[in-house]
Amino acid sequence: MMEEVDRILIHSLRQTGTEVREDVDSVKQFSSELIVEAVVRCLRVIDPLLGNGLSPTLPPGMSARFRLGMSLAQACQDLGYKGEIGYQTFLYSSEPEIRSLLMFLVEKLPRASAEASDQPAGKSALLQKAVSAQIKAQLALPWIPPRLAFLGQTQSAGLFHSFHSQPLSLPHIPIALGKKPVKEVTDYYRDFLLPVTAQPSQHASVPASLLEHHTLEISATQEWENEWNSQGLLTRLSPEGYRSRKRARLQKRIEEQLRAATQFNTTSQHASRLGPDLMELMHSFGGSTIGGNILAKGTRFTHTEKFTFTQEPEASSQQMVTANVLPSSWQSEEDVQAQQQEELHSLQQQLQQLSVRMEEMGGEIKQLSVSITQVSDELKQRERSNAEKEDSVRVKKQTIDLLPDAESNLAKLQTLVESSSKRVVSLASQWEKHRAPLIEERRRLKELCSSRELESSRKLSEIKGLHNKIRQSAEEAKKKEGLYKQLITEFENLPKDVSRSAYTMRILEIVGNIKKQKEEITKILSDTKELQKEINSLTGKLDRTFAVTDELVFKDAKKDESVRKSYKYLAALHENCTQLIQTIEDTGTILREIRDLEEQIETENGKKTVSNLEKILEDYKAIRQENSTLAATIREA
Amino acid sequence: MIKLLEKLPPNECAKFLHRVVDGVCGRNPPRMTDYSMWSLTEWLELLDGLSSFFRFAVGKKCSDEEVLESLGDLDSGHRDAVLTCLKGRRDEIRHALLERTNAVSSAQLQDFDWQIKLALSSDKISSLQMALLNLNLDVKQDGVVKPVSIELNREELQTLISSLEAANKVVLQLK
Repeated sequence: MMEEVDRILIHSLRQTGTEVREDVDSVKQFSSELIVEAVVRCLRVIDPLLGNGLSPTLPPGMSARFRLGMSLAQACQDLGYKGEIGYQTFLYSSEPEIRSLLMFLVEKLPRASAEASDQPAGKSALLQKAVSAQIKAQLALPWIPPRLAFLGQTQSAGLFHSFHSQPLSLPHIPIALGKKPVKEVTDYYRDFLLPVTAQPSQHASVPASLLEHHTLEISATQEWENEWNSQGLLTRLSPEGYRSRKRARLQKRIEEQLRAATQFNTTSQHASRLGPDLMELMHSFGGSTIGGNILAKGTRFTHTEKFTFTQEPEASSQQMVTANVLPSSWQSEEDVQAQQQEELHSLQQQLQQLSVRMEEMGGEIKQLSVSITQVSDELKQRERSNAEKEDSVRVKKQTIDLLPDAESNLAKLQTLVESSSKRVVSLASQWEKHRAPLIEERRRLKELCSSRELESSRKLSEIKGLHNKIRQSAEEAKKKEGLYKQLITEFENLPKDVSRSAYTMRILEIVGNIKKQKEEITKILSDTKELQKEINSLTGKLDRTFAVTDELVFKDAKKDESVRKSYKYLAALHENCTQLIQTIEDTGTILREIRDLEEQIETENGKKTVSNLEKILEDYKAIRQENSTLAATIREA
Repeated sequence: MIKLLEKLPPNECAKFLHRVVDGVCGRNPPRMTDYSMWSLTEWLELLDGLSSFFRFAVGKKCSDEEVLESLGDLDSGHRDAVLTCLKGRRDEIRHALLERTNAVSSAQLQDFDWQIKLALSSDKISSLQMALLNLNLDVKQDGVVKPVSIELNREELQTLISSLEAANKVVLQLK
């Protein structure tokens, strides 16, 4: 019973912030320090004003200890504690006193907070509470300039580093394709590749770069999968085939767009809207249409990057030429400057001239190319008409050749025509013979083909269905995982309630026990009453029989000497019996007294009187010593 | 130009070249303080020459022979080092070049970052409870990265997202 109470007490004391060690599991094991700490913590929770003036640790000085005990006792009495309490309760503790005091304090503990935390608060309320707690905590902190924030770590570092990502180089060896990794690549990965944390120029952008890299890969894979599942499968091509087809399509499209844009661009000048790179690209396109006629063929446009980067080497080589010239012409500065100026001027002029000529030439070339196409068209037409004419000339020539011997030639021609018509008929019949099985075959193959198509589209739809199912199950799994997590958190929040129900169970049990004991007590009480009654009736009976016997014997005693003697014996017997009864009763009372005393002894033993006395003696000595030292200091002063 | 590379011993050459390629791919180029054999102009020329050489070789899809031919004025040790480096990093450089080609428009989004903030109250309302999104965009325009910072409430964010989705749809149709 008491252990149960102690466990509840210790549990609630731990909740108030008292550090009760694990091996302490009953109030009996509480030391004075622990008692003082527990009481002070409880007082602080119940009434902060009252409790904050008291220290939870016992001071070393004896008189200070005494004072702390007194003020603690006073505080408890202020709260309404009815029991006996004083400094001795804390310093020279006895188990029952402490237990009743602690029970009183635990009952006084405010319950509202516990109930509030039990109720499932809404998410927004929780968030607000967290926000307000955080703000309160931050308000309590001193302000630190942001530059010194690393001292306080008050705010997350994310506020001071913006998100900058840089491309990373990660080892990636394709295994699935079955290609052997290139030796140079593996060498690079092994010998020269920096660790990923050292790659970005600023250390702060490592996480950003990693995140960027990761999302890039994920989104690329996802997009490809989506596209493949939605469109790629329907084309019935292999992934590589699909890709190459798509690439060709895209290139054609870009080509068209760019060509349209260059035409648009040459007619109207609004270059400022476009970026420099794009302008460059446009110009390169424009230039090449005028000069090399590359786009007209359309086959060399395979890689857009080609156009952007072919220019760079040229530009850089020009730079290098000028740079090589520079140091050699380093004589006298003014000379050089004047010379340079002149040179610049002449060069500019030259440039202008050249560009003017370039433009002229460009126009000329354009014109010429147009005329060339026109001429070539004309040429083709002429050639065609020429061929037609030649044909007709040949036929006419033959007929003219045949004219002189007209009749025989006519007959010959007729026989020729007849024989050829016969041949045509025979060929037709032969063709018919061949045709029938071929048509049959074709029909059969067509049917096969259509059935296969049906099959494949059926399988396609099946695959799609499977994909959908996979997605659904993945979502479901995610949902269930979420539910599982939620349930886990709920479960973690539960144990409180479990212990509570255990307590109520215990309480109910105890109540049942008490009822049983009460019944037994009433039984015993009725037994004793019955016994009392019996005893009473027996004593009455005894008295009456004694009176009757006494009277009879007394009557006979006057007559007979022996009877008188027996009367005397009777009287003596009666007296002795009464005495005997008296003694038995006395023994009973004494036994009861003894038991009382024993109990008293036990309680006194429980109060640890001897050790407490020793402690008191020691403390008394300590106080005296303190007093004498104080007196000595006074005297010295 | 690239001939200046011969000032570096061939065994150190590989490391230097890989750092140059790093620079081409948008990371840190090598630092001049680590290499004392070149003057500043030489250093700049060398870096420039090597970078454009790498871009040229990968962009043109040069074969090994063509690369060796265009490196004709180097001695054989350095030539091999350059070729090895090029072979090892070809994919990476190609990727960087593709990125550059992708960036061929007036403005391009480099990075974006967002923070969600909960406005608890305003100067007029004591309990506001409004979520605000702080969106930071790093936009590269004419080669200069310009930070753009905007604050959006829920509706504005929705508008932004739907317009971006519409744009994505157009891009998908182009594909």
